[in-house]
Amino acid sequence: MIEHLPVLLVVLPIVGGAIPLAASLVSDRAGWPVATLTLVGQTGLAGLLAWTVSSSGTVSYAVGGFAAPYGIELVVDGLSAAVALLVAVISLGVLAYARKAGPHSGPFYGLYLLLVAGLTGMTVTGDVFNLYVFLEITGLAAYGLVASGRDASAAVAALKYLIIGTVGASLYLLGVGYLLAATGTLNMADLATKLGEMAAYDSTLVLTAFGLMVGGLTVKVALFPLHTWQPDAYANAPDTVSAFISALVSTVSAYALARLLFSVFTVDFLTAVPVARWALVGLACVSIVAGSALAVSQDSVQRMLAYSSVSQFGLVVAGFAIATPLAVVGATVHLLGHAVMKGGLFAATGVIERKTGATTVNGYAGMGSRVPVSAFAFAVLSLAMVGVPPAVGFVGKWYIVLGAVNAENWPVVAVLLASTLLTLAYFARLVERLYFAEATIHSKPDEAPVTDGSGQAVSFGMIAVVVIAAALAVVLTAAVPTLEHVLRETLIPVLNQ
Amino acid sequence: MSMLTAVPPVVVLLAVAIVVSQLPRRAGHAVGVLVPALAVLWAVMVPEGAHLQTQFLGFDAVLLNVDPFSRLMGIIFGLIAAVAVLYSYASEADTTQTGYALSYVATSFGAVFAGDWLTLIFFWELMAVTSTLLVWHYGGKAVRAGFRYALLHGLGGTLLMAAILRHYVEVETFLFASVPGGPETAGITSGLAAALAAIGIGVNVGFIGLHAWLPDTYPRPHIAASVFLCVFTTKTGVYGMYRAFPNGHEAIAYMGGGMAVFGALFALFQNDMRRLLSYHIQSQVGYMVAGVGIGSALSQAGAFAHVFNHILYKGLLFMTAGVVIYRTGTESLKKLGGLWREMPITAGAFSIAALSIAGFPGFNGFVSKGIIISGSHYTFGKGPLPLGEFYTLEWLLLLGGVGTFMSFIKFGYYAFFHGEYDGSVPDANRLQSVAMVSVAALCVIYGVYDTALFAILPFDVTSEAVVHHVYKTYTIPHLIEGVVLAVLGLIGFAVTKKPLSKLGRVPDIDSVYNPALFYGFRGLVVGVTELYAAVDRAVVQTTGIVTRTVTSPNDVIARLRDDDTLVHPMRAGIGLSILILAVFVTVALLALS
Repeated sequence: MIEHLPVLLVVLPIVGGAIPLAASLVSDRAGWPVATLTLVGQTGLAGLLAWTVSSSGTVSYAVGGFAAPYGIELVVDGLSAAVALLVAVISLGVLAYARKAGPHSGPFYGLYLLLVAGLTGMTVTGDVFNLYVFLEITGLAAYGLVASGRDASAAVAALKYLIIGTVGASLYLLGVGYLLAATGTLNMADLATKLGEMAAYDSTLVLTAFGLMVGGLTVKVALFPLHTWQPDAYANAPDTVSAFISALVSTVSAYALARLLFSVFTVDFLTAVPVARWALVGLACVSIVAGSALAVSQDSVQRMLAYSSVSQFGLVVAGFAIATPLAVVGATVHLLGHAVMKGGLFAATGVIERKTGATTVNGYAGMGSRVPVSAFAFAVLSLAMVGVPPAVGFVGKWYIVLGAVNAENWPVVAVLLASTLLTLAYFARLVERLYFAEATIHSKPDEAPVTDGSGQAVSFGMIAVVVIAAALAVVLTAAVPTLEHVLRETLIPVLNQ
Repeated sequence: MSMLTAVPPVVVLLAVAIVVSQLPRRAGHAVGVLVPALAVLWAVMVPEGAHLQTQFLGFDAVLLNVDPFSRLMGIIFGLIAAVAVLYSYASEADTTQTGYALSYVATSFGAVFAGDWLTLIFFWELMAVTSTLLVWHYGGKAVRAGFRYALLHGLGGTLLMAAILRHYVEVETFLFASVPGGPETAGITSGLAAALAAIGIGVNVGFIGLHAWLPDTYPRPHIAASVFLCVFTTKTGVYGMYRAFPNGHEAIAYMGGGMAVFGALFALFQNDMRRLLSYHIQSQVGYMVAGVGIGSALSQAGAFAHVFNHILYKGLLFMTAGVVIYRTGTESLKKLGGLWREMPITAGAFSIAALSIAGFPGFNGFVSKGIIISGSHYTFGKGPLPLGEFYTLEWLLLLGGVGTFMSFIKFGYYAFFHGEYDGSVPDANRLQSVAMVSVAALCVIYGVYDTALFAILPFDVTSEAVVHHVYKTYTIPHLIEGVVLAVLGLIGFAVTKKPLSKLGRVPDIDSVYNPALFYGFRGLVVGVTELYAAVDRAVVQTTGIVTRTVTSPNDVIARLRDDDTLVHPMRAGIGLSILILAVFVTVALLALS
């Protein structure tokens, strides 16, 4: 059983996802329990896998018994185990939110579980083409989820997401083709050894493959200037979906980018082709600054949070591109921490909107007393995102900055430090509005307009999700040493080889 | 003896210049005549090889260096300075101007008695400053001319400075070869340093193209100031040229020949008396530059003999022109005439000076010009264009002589002998007459008793051991040559008199570069000003934005706000997003490969 864990992680949500679709012919209410059941199992499996990896190192699995490099190999090391566990936990948590917030349809939960399957698949796969397949599964499920909002704007946002996302995925596929042409293999570990041997790192073929694959994934990660789909998708999707995809989709794409850097192209490539490293670092820095600047200029809180992601993923990618052990640990911590914090923030905006109708920065004025618990959670999550110790946001940034200092990459250090100020610029404004400004919205909650129309009430589960996210944002700091240990055992050797 | 070498003359003379400017007019000028006269005595007496070594800006420097070259310069500088101060007093110059003039004399002494390049350039630049002050003191049109003069000399001095620095890099000392501790070879290092030095000194001696300051500046200030100006700057330049190129240089020799012809030609076109004389400075300095450039002992002795004689007759010429202006208030030859009846002493002095400068037998110019021409024939190559017996440089110099005769016949004819002068003017006053007659006497004495001149030359031109070809002034062919040149000059003047009288102002090189410089600088200034204004505006605006952002951040944020309900210009549509993606990937791929 243990050796089948990686593939079970992918199979379980696919099978689970088929049930609500079929059950919806009979009852719309079957979706949630099935999904919950599936994801509880998924979380258990992911936890077990993570425990296995942390105790006995990297796990690999040949799908269908076809041995690598010809068969599809699933490889789970510390980084992928952590991300897989994150996917399982957050998708289970968001279900608690969705119980009341909806949408309440069978197909919704089908897509939801399919997205979980796609994300998990991207996380555990050790094959670049298989990664593409799961990338598309993730994408298609995400497009469908964004479109599940009842507004026309949700449909438009989903269409935009679909077109841009598909072009991005196609670029990635093109890059995979170039790699296959260069080496004749698709297996990541095999590619890592053959690149450099069969095709020089600075050959046009390899460089083109790198450019196309990284470019394609950059669309999915939503770094500036390829982020344009993301604010629309996050802001126009139903709150459940916003919380879910903002927490996970970009996160897993960033994970895939890191996987590509470390396990396919390897650090040797970055050393041999400094321009590639500089291009990535430069892109990340531009993203940090531009994302923050755009976030400051937003009126809608959800759009602001979306642009914040553009900036935060710049930070993560910068950490991965610097590629020193410290920076990689920092980027991983920030990747996971950001997922929890950003998901919690989006969930909180949903709660606040339902209770008060406030969706804009000015609308948030004086809401600290109207929705004390959610507002407090929102404030805690905001400060965690800014990087106030002891929150996990601080630890991640701290490690990345240390890594950049170790690498003596001073421009990046400057941008990283400035990014804290920039993040403060927009989150401090929100916190100030919440607690220190006169209220601008006085209508009663039940009269408040709700945009996605999927119910106005706020359940205990919804608030619990927000509160737990806020708590996790602080508590996760305690888990950092464990994570660092696992990463040092499984991933760092890959960096130093 | 130690008294003579205790202090360099420049120190004493500078102190005297200050004293003169503060004293009453009569007493000041008396001191001003006496001290340069004593300086002549000092220059004669001071022992050869005397040195005054010191540290200057942390480098070895020699403030006093006496050899035959600097001694000759000292004698003639002191002589003419004494006469010129007397003339200044007679011509109603104030003590401030004479003080400036004496400071100019003092710095010239500093330059010619310098024993190293650093001291030389130091006094060289100070000469530019003091002479500019002398020009400016007159006010009016002299001020703008003084600016142009200062600019060009600043440029020349900078080039010479660059040459000296380059030279220092090569030999690691500023000292001249002749002083103890100096380098092995005399002169400036060849190559870039030599080229820079030639051009930098070329400004001072009036190389063709770099000469326009001469006729531009010298006619403008006070008549007595012109007497000083015509002496020191160009002759110190010749001296510097010798120090930089003690073995000569072919290009410099031909430049000298060209200057002799060019200056004489342009002098012919002039009607302003002092402007005409200024072109003749260029022409005469051309002979000296040619002598230095030829590089033989004979020609260099000739060059310095010509420096000596030229200072006498050119000072005299400026004095006579000054007297004419002083009495008639007119500068233009076209408005003068018949003055020989009114001012016979001046006319007589002018005739002697004119015959001297033209090189007529019996006058000092005949002696020294003869040495140089002899040097150009016997100690220099045939050159690219020899005409029969005459070598290229030789006939250039002879042609310059014809031009000199022509233009001085013109000067004399129009000023003194042509027609009648309307009205009556007095002749030169008593002291002016004393000054002019004494210099005129010297012109004749050194012409007739040429051995007196030979005695002070750095090389004995009559000794076969010293020079390649022994020079004898009064030989039949040389006399014939002098007379033939005069006759040719007469014929030439008679032929060209009519066309020349119809000629308007002939533009010189400065009519090109003055406007070019003016508009160039104006463009530069306007550009710099506008740039400054633009930067200023940008800074003020930025400051305003920052101030607004700090004082009322909410307004700024409200202005930037991305309103959710509107189609925002910064929100990219699907098409634009795809375009951005395509461009991004293209750029990335191009950057990577």
